[in-house]
Amino acid sequence: MASSISTTSARAAPLVTLLSVFIPGAGQFYLHKRWRGALILLFVGLLAFVINWALATFKIGRVTLGAFTTSWLWLPLILFWAWNIWDARHLATGKPGNIGVGVLLAALILYVIAWNVTDVRLERLVTRFADARKVAADLANPDIFTLSAPGQEPKICGLGCLVEQARLRLTGAEVKGTLRTSENFRDIMGRTKVGPPSDWLIRLGLATKDAQAPRFQAGKLVETIAIGLLATLFSTLLAVPLSFFAAHNVMSRVPGGSTIYYVMRTLLNVVRAVDTVIWGLIVVVWVGLGSFAGVIALTIHSVAALGKLYSEEIEHIDPGPVEAVTATGANLFKVIRYAVIPQIVPPFLAYTLLRWDINMRSATVVGFVAGGGIGFFVVETIRQGGYREYAAALWTVAVVIILVDYLSARWRANILEDRPRQAVTGRRLSLRTVIYIVLGLALFAYCWNVAKINVQALFEPAPTFWRLVRDFVTIDLSQDVLEIVTKQMLITVFQALLATTFGAIFAIPASFLAAKNLTGRSKLSAWVYYVMRSLFNVLRSIEALLYVAIFVYWVGIGPFAGAMALAVTTFALLGKLFSEAIENIDLGPMEAVAATGANRLQVIRYAVLPQIIPPFISYLIYQWDINIRMATIIGFAGGGGIGLQLSTFFGMLQYHKAGTVVLFIVVVVALMDFASAKLREKLV
Amino acid sequence: MLKIEHLVKVYPNGTQALRDVSFQVADGEFMAVIGLSGSGKSTLLRCINRLIEPTAGKITWDDTDVTVARGAELLRIRRQIGMIFQQFNLVKRSSVLTNVLTGRLGYVNTTQSLLGAFSGDDRARAFANLEQVGLSEKAHVRADSLSGGQQQRVGIARALMQEPKLILADEPVASLDPVLAHSILKYLEQLNKERGITVLCSLHFLDLVHRYATRAIALKDGIVVFEGLPQEIDDAQFKAIYGQEAERVTIV
Repeated sequence: MASSISTTSARAAPLVTLLSVFIPGAGQFYLHKRWRGALILLFVGLLAFVINWALATFKIGRVTLGAFTTSWLWLPLILFWAWNIWDARHLATGKPGNIGVGVLLAALILYVIAWNVTDVRLERLVTRFADARKVAADLANPDIFTLSAPGQEPKICGLGCLVEQARLRLTGAEVKGTLRTSENFRDIMGRTKVGPPSDWLIRLGLATKDAQAPRFQAGKLVETIAIGLLATLFSTLLAVPLSFFAAHNVMSRVPGGSTIYYVMRTLLNVVRAVDTVIWGLIVVVWVGLGSFAGVIALTIHSVAALGKLYSEEIEHIDPGPVEAVTATGANLFKVIRYAVIPQIVPPFLAYTLLRWDINMRSATVVGFVAGGGIGFFVVETIRQGGYREYAAALWTVAVVIILVDYLSARWRANILEDRPRQAVTGRRLSLRTVIYIVLGLALFAYCWNVAKINVQALFEPAPTFWRLVRDFVTIDLSQDVLEIVTKQMLITVFQALLATTFGAIFAIPASFLAAKNLTGRSKLSAWVYYVMRSLFNVLRSIEALLYVAIFVYWVGIGPFAGAMALAVTTFALLGKLFSEAIENIDLGPMEAVAATGANRLQVIRYAVLPQIIPPFISYLIYQWDINIRMATIIGFAGGGGIGLQLSTFFGMLQYHKAGTVVLFIVVVVALMDFASAKLREKLV
Repeated sequence: MLKIEHLVKVYPNGTQALRDVSFQVADGEFMAVIGLSGSGKSTLLRCINRLIEPTAGKITWDDTDVTVARGAELLRIRRQIGMIFQQFNLVKRSSVLTNVLTGRLGYVNTTQSLLGAFSGDDRARAFANLEQVGLSEKAHVRADSLSGGQQQRVGIARALMQEPKLILADEPVASLDPVLAHSILKYLEQLNKERGITVLCSLHFLDLVHRYATRAIALKDGIVVFEGLPQEIDDAQFKAIYGQEAERVTIV
């Protein structure tokens, strides 16, 4: 059978080759290698476009031959074309082609351009190393504790000082001065102050209006936690009903449902493609600066993300019970109540917990534009050059996010494990449930207060908001705006490509050290494992936007600083994903290859590598996708790219131009999301 | 000759997998190991090529003490002993040919093998062995596109690349449709009879033991409870090995 196929195509070999000469990929397409053919054509088009753009905009690759000026990058593209012809011929004669050459040529072109547009200055990492050391010293000595000796100003007590204090105390030596949390730390966490009691206490009759009592004033980090919690609650409440309208299996039972389904799905995808921080910019125009704006921005993005996940979950339920309940004569609502809801509660809860984790992370940065929470604090401290105050914020954020990450993962595992409970105990509420409900309500009320929720502001938007809405509908598509936006968008995409690459280069070796099944069982390797895993977790807990300040100080403002900040989070996330992929490999082949008498290296080459390369590539594509989203906002902190352009347009109240930027972001992010999902599907 | 003396294996969690197991396998035998799941059959086979480290006891193969072998010597012993697994243990994403060639890794130069280069001689050998198991047509397809029975035949071809004098087969047919069991065991029988390869094979079904094995031992809770000819296993023996609840079943 195999031979008959190769003979028929061998006869067609000249035709196939000719097809690929004129239209790249056409020969491959003809041989039913549809994906390969389409990708080749797409790449030739894209590469030609970016080569031309890079030459015109940045003079990248410019060579002058007499009176003729062109880019040397056309040469690898011509070679790419030649490779495509060679590949078509090989496939037609039944031989396996070699994708490697094509990938290398395309990568060469892309990296040369990416390197230049991102303005990579690797030498600065070295020449400005003194600056890096200063930041590192500040990071190691955050403004969290102060030591006040008698008759002296309190001094910040950093890492070395804390170790010294601990040593003095442990050895029972004389301790000079008192160690306490610093003012800065209380700005972050909160402080008690004597003042009038809160509205709630007065309304509940627990205090009188003019009573003075010590009262806890929430700090910026507590505010951040409140923002994250409220946004998760609000978005869950909104997304649950919406998700049914975006579920195909539900909507196909309703007349006209398919249309609603498509409208809903498109809406969710568009809203989701715009990052929380960008929503923050828009919402600020609506309700003004403050943590309330942060809550709304998070809620908007989160509703869309949860709505999509929920609706996919509804689509994947077991149709058996639905069929059975329908067979009893129940209507749509009854079917949903008795056959759908019991199935979806655990996964919905799990997604909500996952979203809580993501929302807490977003809450730490939404303040960059919306003016609430720790993000706002970071912007203020950086503006004043207070790197030790900034360092304190990073450390405390890391602690909170690691805790949230851990709790969310653990509760999710518990929910999805789904053990049948002993017995369903009647209808009565147990004491425990009542306590949980009371505590939950108290927490909700507290968060409401801390985040300064102001429902009225929602219905009384600032007059500029209507202008923004009008301008977003009639966006500016004039030539020069399009040129600027295209330029910044492409820089952003290339910046994300470089960040992914830099991060991956470090993550690959590190992930092997953090994989339990390969590191062996010695004490040293156990230590290495814990150190690497902790490093991944700490670095991953801080959003790229918060890292930018470090690299701006080190390598200067611009896309390179942004790429470096993204590379740090990329390293941490890829390191975690890669090491988990290594840990999930099938041990059987390793055993079998070892049994043949192969040594350790051979076992890795023949039993481990073939199993991990596909998931690694899949994660790389996924990470590039994430990095493009992150790169759209990295400019808000001085990391270059389209974010900077967007904040400039917003700052100058040129909303019709800002609308163009948002449109571009939606299109590019949605396209990348789609392409990356399709590619990954093909790989695994 | 393979000689097992007072073999003991205690896992770190305290499980006593083998308690004082001793027996011998003469060259050219087809020896079956029977017993319930968890009786220690897999542990026993893996101790022989040291995929699992025995706790105590001695294993001698061709006058070499396997239990003390280290480094390169251990690898040299392993390459003389082929192994076939219940779950086939093929690298699913690699081609059938690459999977078969991995059987040669104990013989080839490390650097070359890391680059994926195998000599023409080894490739010819791989095709010959694939021919032997009737799969030469499938050399270039991915291993996971084969059926279970075909995957196990690739496993046999991989073991043959080692030019083994002994084949350890750990429940080679337990993951297969019962009707395919004979096709796999016939290959093993053929290798045993024609090439004189000693076979040590753990099996579930007693009638397969009757049909293929020249001798059998039975394990129960890590102890040898029977050693002798397959036809000597009568009803009383059977109950002693498998417990009072067990019933004899036959497969086609």
